[in-house]
Amino acid sequence: MKSGEATAINIPESSTESKGKGVAAATPVVATTHTATKAIQLGKAPGGWKRGIAILDFVVRLFGIAAALTATTVMGTTDETLPFFTQFFQFQASYDDLPAFTFFVVANAVASAYLVLSLPFSIVSIVRPHAVGARLLLLIFDTVMVALTTAGASAAAAIVYLAHNGNSSANWIAICQQFNGFCQRISGAVVASFIATVIFMFLVVIASIALRKH
Amino acid sequence: MKAGAVELGEVSSKVVAQRRGMNRGASIVDFILRLVAFAGTLGSAIAMGTTDETLPFFTQFIRFKAEYNDLPTFTFFVVANSVVSVYLILSLLLSIYHIVRTGSRSSRVVLIFFDTAMLALVTAGASAASAIVYLAHKGNVRANWFAICQQFNSFCERISGSLIGSFIAMVVIILLILLSAVSISRR
Repeated sequence: MKSGEATAINIPESSTESKGKGVAAATPVVATTHTATKAIQLGKAPGGWKRGIAILDFVVRLFGIAAALTATTVMGTTDETLPFFTQFFQFQASYDDLPAFTFFVVANAVASAYLVLSLPFSIVSIVRPHAVGARLLLLIFDTVMVALTTAGASAAAAIVYLAHNGNSSANWIAICQQFNGFCQRISGAVVASFIATVIFMFLVVIASIALRKH
Repeated sequence: MKAGAVELGEVSSKVVAQRRGMNRGASIVDFILRLVAFAGTLGSAIAMGTTDETLPFFTQFIRFKAEYNDLPTFTFFVVANSVVSVYLILSLLLSIYHIVRTGSRSSRVVLIFFDTAMLALVTAGASAASAIVYLAHKGNVRANWFAICQQFNSFCERISGSLIGSFIAMVVIILLILLSAVSISRR
């Protein structure tokens, strides 16, 4: 018997005594037991799939933590120094040379911290499938996080594209030709961040599916 | 048998009517916000797409003509904003349907799904373009990238201003998603 979902239908006589009453008394008993079972079934089925969605939400959140944390650490620990130098050119590259990458690290750090803090709310919606408040709160913040991670990932992607290809019109040279390891790391971090973005979008959609009442 | 009359989840009809009224109000606000977002993205796409500046002198090393498709990121920005504005026009139909028939829930979930995808697209376009605009304004000493804004003044102003509409549209789309979610949960 699921807690809090079954109505208390008073069946005034036990099954052994009902045989002794007349047919007229038995019919309303049958009617109330029909509504009782229908009410219990209505209460049970939506709780079932809502709980499944909440469990899926929790698991996907764990993957999201992995993705966002990977993006943050891989970008945050890039540092490459080439073993030669001239008087005009700096041959050291790290992530805070480019403000877009700093923003990327900050955005992904915020996203992973948010995901860790949202795990209790996710557990609450597993335990209580009909709690609307927790799901709505998570949906609101997940939407904002979609925007934040997409912003960080695509700003960094623009710079990574420029680093790989350069731009002849603006006379910007492709720095990846010299800094190979740096370029590979930042490209990998951008990919991880886009995966985190897709995860956030998925979380928003399944939360909106689970918010439906019946 | 009074207990059998009240079924699970049933509230009084007055509250239901009140909720429907609020949902209808939310649908109307949704429609208006969609128009605002459409104006924002269309304005941004046009402002970025019509950039073209030629400086009256040249040397053999540097080009002195700047337009938006010199930088692939700006091309992506124009394309993304155009796609989102077309989507917003098409979703106005669904929004009108929600004003008329406030109770439908599955179509609202579909709307949330597409709104989320479009949010990601417009944010991607806007932030990639802002990264390049920042670089155009400031340059980068470490990568030896020169700040092109020092020569191309009106080009720079144009591309910076076109970002505003796109960011406004991003905020509006976030509000649209939240509005749809609240409408779903209240019904």
